[in-house]
Amino acid sequence: MEKKLSQMKYEEKGRIKVIDQSLKAQIAGMGIREGKEVEMMTKQPIKGPVVVNVDRANTSIGLGLADRIIVEVEE
Amino acid sequence: MELSTDQRWDLVERISKQTVEVGKYKATLKDALADLTVRPAIGIPFAIAVIYGFWTFFCEFAGTLFTDGFFVKIFDGYWLPWLQNVFAGAPTWVFNVFVGDPLATNCFEAFGVLSSGLFLAIGVVLPAIVAFYLIFAILEDVGYMPRLAVLVDGLLHKIGLHGYAVVPTMLSLGCNVPGVTACRPLDTRKQRFLAIALLSVFVPCGAQIGIMQGMIPGLIGWVFLALVIGYFAVGWVLNKIVPGESPEILMDVPPYQAPTARNVWTKLWTRVWRFLKVAVPFVLLGCLIVNVLYMTGAMDAIASALSPVITGVFGLPEETASAMVAGFLRKDLAVGTIGMLAAGGMTITLFQVFTAVVLLSIYFPCLATFALMIKELNWKQTLGALATLIVVVFVFGAILHLIGSSGIGSSAWVPLE
Amino acid sequence: MKKVLLMGQANVGKSALFNRLAGARVTESNYPGTTVDFAKGRMRLNHEDVEIIDVPGTFSLEPKDKAEEVAVRMLEQEKDALVVCIIDSSKIERGLYLALEIMEKGYPVVVALNMWDVAKNGNVKINAPKLEQILGVPVVPTVATRGEGLKELVLRIENATSASIEEVMEKVGGKGGTFN
Repeated sequence: MEKKLSQMKYEEKGRIKVIDQSLKAQIAGMGIREGKEVEMMTKQPIKGPVVVNVDRANTSIGLGLADRIIVEVEE
Repeated sequence: MELSTDQRWDLVERISKQTVEVGKYKATLKDALADLTVRPAIGIPFAIAVIYGFWTFFCEFAGTLFTDGFFVKIFDGYWLPWLQNVFAGAPTWVFNVFVGDPLATNCFEAFGVLSSGLFLAIGVVLPAIVAFYLIFAILEDVGYMPRLAVLVDGLLHKIGLHGYAVVPTMLSLGCNVPGVTACRPLDTRKQRFLAIALLSVFVPCGAQIGIMQGMIPGLIGWVFLALVIGYFAVGWVLNKIVPGESPEILMDVPPYQAPTARNVWTKLWTRVWRFLKVAVPFVLLGCLIVNVLYMTGAMDAIASALSPVITGVFGLPEETASAMVAGFLRKDLAVGTIGMLAAGGMTITLFQVFTAVVLLSIYFPCLATFALMIKELNWKQTLGALATLIVVVFVFGAILHLIGSSGIGSSAWVPLE
Repeated sequence: MKKVLLMGQANVGKSALFNRLAGARVTESNYPGTTVDFAKGRMRLNHEDVEIIDVPGTFSLEPKDKAEEVAVRMLEQEKDALVVCIIDSSKIERGLYLALEIMEKGYPVVVALNMWDVAKNGNVKINAPKLEQILGVPVVPTVATRGEGLKELVLRIENATSASIEEVMEKVGGKGGTFN
């Protein structure tokens, strides 16, 4: 099932499918790219950022930015 | 030849396939902690515990151990008598300016440039600054700050700031000067303006906290509450009216690491040194100017000129005008001045002290901070920050006056020794 | 004077390495027209003094904030500089991404595989000689906080050369496919 990165639940794992062109190059240096496995580490209350784990690196991403990343998760 | 993002990743993966072998990874206790402290359910209580521990250490180390246990004894027992002795033959005005009250038995009440001025700078403020930056440097080196930034990003984003703004804001609790400088990594002009304006108005510096902790330990919590409310209320309004962008957070959250003495020492030393260079001359200069204003009678003129505002709007005793003037130079000196005035016979209620301390915190950044603001912001933004603080001072002053007129905290305040 | 730029992503131990290499005469400067600071120092290389610059941390050469913008501009300004690219060995892929970006621009590069101990503890095994052979530039494992590998790094800086990305692609069989 496809969903936005921002919609992933705590500790949910998935694979990054599409990163919006507007974000792709910007986020590349953090190791986040299409085809990578991603795990949701935390979500913050009051629309705070998410923290995701890719290749053992944790990155905090604002919710609006996380909207622009599509992931494939297992049912 | 330059590659596209996708091409480059493809190449990286081909290279790493041939050279890198990633084995099983056993999460350590450190990793578990790293994860937990960024999760709201555990991270937020943990952050509160960290800040509370920070505060306790700050009070114990700076206030009790060094100021009371060491510097008070040195300054009152040796330095003041020595000064009084050395300056004994000097003309009266020289004695008054540099040593202060000839009958004083402690450096707090003497109010001379070299007695009270030096005591405030070295005896009270320096231990506070060192304690503060020591813990701060350790927290930074361990890698805690990015986690704190993530935890508060949601809240700070509501007032147009980035979670990272927690770093300059906390640094400002040591001294606003490095705090203003630390706003540099904030991305947009708007964010820098908001962060600098808010911290220069609402964040009391370590010098001031050190003095408050010595003078009004019972009120300090209320002072902080008033300032925090102000920070967010004004931030919310500014975010609505200041044009510009507030981009979202995109930040690496590194694993924890053991702090290294070398890094901690470098950071601590740079910051303490910068503080000494800026603050000590200003405290001494401030003390000098206030003394000269008193001696020439200019202070009375200023006090009567300001009295409609000070007594009428803020509901404070007229004599506090001198503290307000001192506050232009140094906030710690200004708070100290109130204590000295009360020790010298001024009647002031508990609530008035509270009001005065809160207003002193917000009404004008000290000169050093102000000079830096002009450098870091453009003129238009500096004027904007000034306009903000004028409005805020009057609104806050009037509200506090209103609350005070209900009779709360109306018992007379007696300064602690 | 010859210049050495120290570049790397955030939290890879870049400042620790800089402090080790630059010695005592370090100065903080402000990049003109911006609010970004960087540090400069001196080091001995081939019996002569060279300037070493601690470039603000950047995740890639596609800047996502002002400090990164400055990092990219500093790189572009110093056409003749040599770049030491510092990588967190435990996160080697994203580090290689930046290293490749710099190499693509034709700069002579030395790769410092820093935090080698962290990678080892995390069960990440890197074949540094093989990596060096593929990239065509010196690759040196280091632990900057303890000063390990720094002598070797300085020696290797002296013979840094620029490498061709086309050759790198050929070595890993990247011809055709996605690279047409």
